[in-house]
Amino acid sequence: MMSSRWTPFLFLAPALAGLLIFRLVPIGVAVGGSLTGVSLMGDLRFVGAENFEYLLTDPQFWSSLKITLFFNVIINPLQLAVAFALAMLVFRPLPGLWLYRTLLVLPMAVSTGISAVLFGLFLDGNLGPLNGFLEWIGVGAQPFHRGQDQALYTLIGIATWKGAGYWMLFLLAGLYSIPSTVYEAATIDGASAWQRFRYVTLPLMRKPMAFVLVADTAINFLFFAPVYILTSGGPGGATSLLMFEAYRSAFTFSDIGRSLAISTILLGIILVIVVLEFRLLRSPEERA
Amino acid sequence: MQIGRRQFMAGAASMAFAGSLGRAAAQSVTLSAPWMGWPENQVTPLMTAFEKESGIRISAERLPIAELFRTLEVRLQARNELPDVYLVDGPLTASYAARGHLLALDEMLAADRDRFVPTTLVQGTYDDKLYAMPLGASSQLLFYNKKLFAEAGIAEPASAPDQRLTWEDLLPIAQQLTKPEISQFGFAFENTNPYQLLPVPLSRGAEVIGPDGLTASGYVDGEGMIEAMTWYQELFQTHKVGPVGTFQTGVTQEMFGSGKLAMIIGGTWNLVGFEKFEGLEFGVAPHPYFAGGKQVTPTGSWHIGINPRTAFMDEAQAFVKWLSTRDAMNLWFDLRQYPPSLEEVWEERAGTTFVDPAWEIVRYELANTATPRPATPAYREYEDFLRTAMQDIQTGSDVSGALTQAAQNIDREMRKYR
Repeated sequence: MMSSRWTPFLFLAPALAGLLIFRLVPIGVAVGGSLTGVSLMGDLRFVGAENFEYLLTDPQFWSSLKITLFFNVIINPLQLAVAFALAMLVFRPLPGLWLYRTLLVLPMAVSTGISAVLFGLFLDGNLGPLNGFLEWIGVGAQPFHRGQDQALYTLIGIATWKGAGYWMLFLLAGLYSIPSTVYEAATIDGASAWQRFRYVTLPLMRKPMAFVLVADTAINFLFFAPVYILTSGGPGGATSLLMFEAYRSAFTFSDIGRSLAISTILLGIILVIVVLEFRLLRSPEERA
Repeated sequence: MQIGRRQFMAGAASMAFAGSLGRAAAQSVTLSAPWMGWPENQVTPLMTAFEKESGIRISAERLPIAELFRTLEVRLQARNELPDVYLVDGPLTASYAARGHLLALDEMLAADRDRFVPTTLVQGTYDDKLYAMPLGASSQLLFYNKKLFAEAGIAEPASAPDQRLTWEDLLPIAQQLTKPEISQFGFAFENTNPYQLLPVPLSRGAEVIGPDGLTASGYVDGEGMIEAMTWYQELFQTHKVGPVGTFQTGVTQEMFGSGKLAMIIGGTWNLVGFEKFEGLEFGVAPHPYFAGGKQVTPTGSWHIGINPRTAFMDEAQAFVKWLSTRDAMNLWFDLRQYPPSLEEVWEERAGTTFVDPAWEIVRYELANTATPRPATPAYREYEDFLRTAMQDIQTGSDVSGALTQAAQNIDREMRKYR
């Protein structure tokens, strides 16, 4: 009766094969590639840690690393908070609820590239409607993605506009999974609305929040298309995120080794941060 | 991008198919040719004319300038048979040739060399071999809107090269012609490419790259460069005579064509390009310079090169050979009006096209003031970082900071050529 023992693996095989081919092998290739260099004539040679050593002396790398970390420190909590607030807003029955939910999820259906192009037009300094409006109400035109001080925040805004509705869906599902009996018991015990949120909703939302935070972090560390389309890492390097640096190295300057070294470092950073996030959002019982 | 890829795939598929039928089926060969994103009517007629004569199809994929360079980079790096032929920007010849991405054309064009204007063969040559055939030269002129000048009561600039405007003369004129209330600007460069903007620092006597061609620090962020780019930034940020954030050639051309821009520094292609704007009356004057500085104008142009790995060597060579013919170069001139690379075309049109004052200026510039872009195998990296810095400077970034950062980045990427 070998079947009983191997059957589960048989069922898992397609998914595992996918994981291996599309995730683990490319990671292996990237890590291996980060130890190589390409000569002008295209010959591959092993260079050991040279790419990494060079990165450590490269001011552009350090500047990109700082920008990437800052970007993530802002965007991940922000998206989680906005998504949570939206989920709370559309959780309880409300007239026209379907309409609000649809509108909130709609940005998800617009491709990243197209939304970047649309925002480029919307925020344009000469012809953009938003600047027209800001001038009309007396605030004055803003440079947005063309301004060194505003570019990164503009990208954060665009990404949040697009992402918040998506993450809201997971949190909404989490809210629905909290049994109403828990709330009833809390109400009978005399808990106020705030207390119910603080001591019932929040602790029971740990798991969905952990998922959203971790998945969002992984995505935002790899944030790329709007940088490529709107700012090309500028102005003045203000939006030169590591992912864009990796792209530039590989596809504009044919320095695959540097590109893969950056990708490998990025992978390491994501791993560390995701582990930290999981620990942070463990429930007290799990921690014990 | 999507369409581009699809065309590319279609091209690849049809080539694979043609390949499987063997060389005998020349009728069905399609050459993949990444091309500049010029207006469709400046590209297709050339390809159609070749197809009619040879039966070989050219799939010319039109890409915006920065995309073209990146696309070529990705495809050439793959080191396979695609693309078959491609447009080579003059100063990139060394970069492609040094990495084995270009076929030497000396043998193929041995009998034709003497037909070219000698100076046009310089940029396509690397290590004493001709790797890319020039499709023309280039020069830049100051185009001005006659109606806006007349309305403001300003005298039109002289067309004689020895009476050319200085940048100091140009600024007050641009200020007079700037009218924010009707979104009218006084002056702009056609785009933000180093090709167009380097004459500004060069006119101030700045050195824009180290003598070894592989050093940027101290040059790209040198004193002369900082001074010149500060002047450039002030045009946009202090005097506000130019539209900020218009980096694309097409946008500034439209603005000039629709009377929203009174003066523009642009290439000879505009001599035909501006004809499409109804009611536009324009004049041309020589490129300005700094008082007391050097008179410098941009030059250098597009070349055609062959991928040495192409699966259709005969067809690719036939295309390049055809482009070197008088008929093809004449057609190409009618489409885009680059100063011709063939002596025959200059001679043939001496009494017609070239009696125009615009061409008098161009001939003078090509003989006296034209300064090619830096000769370095790392021109691609140099240009990419410098373009970004120039755009940042236009939109208000700290000039010295932007140039220092660019210099550091260029030096980093140049290390692979040292």
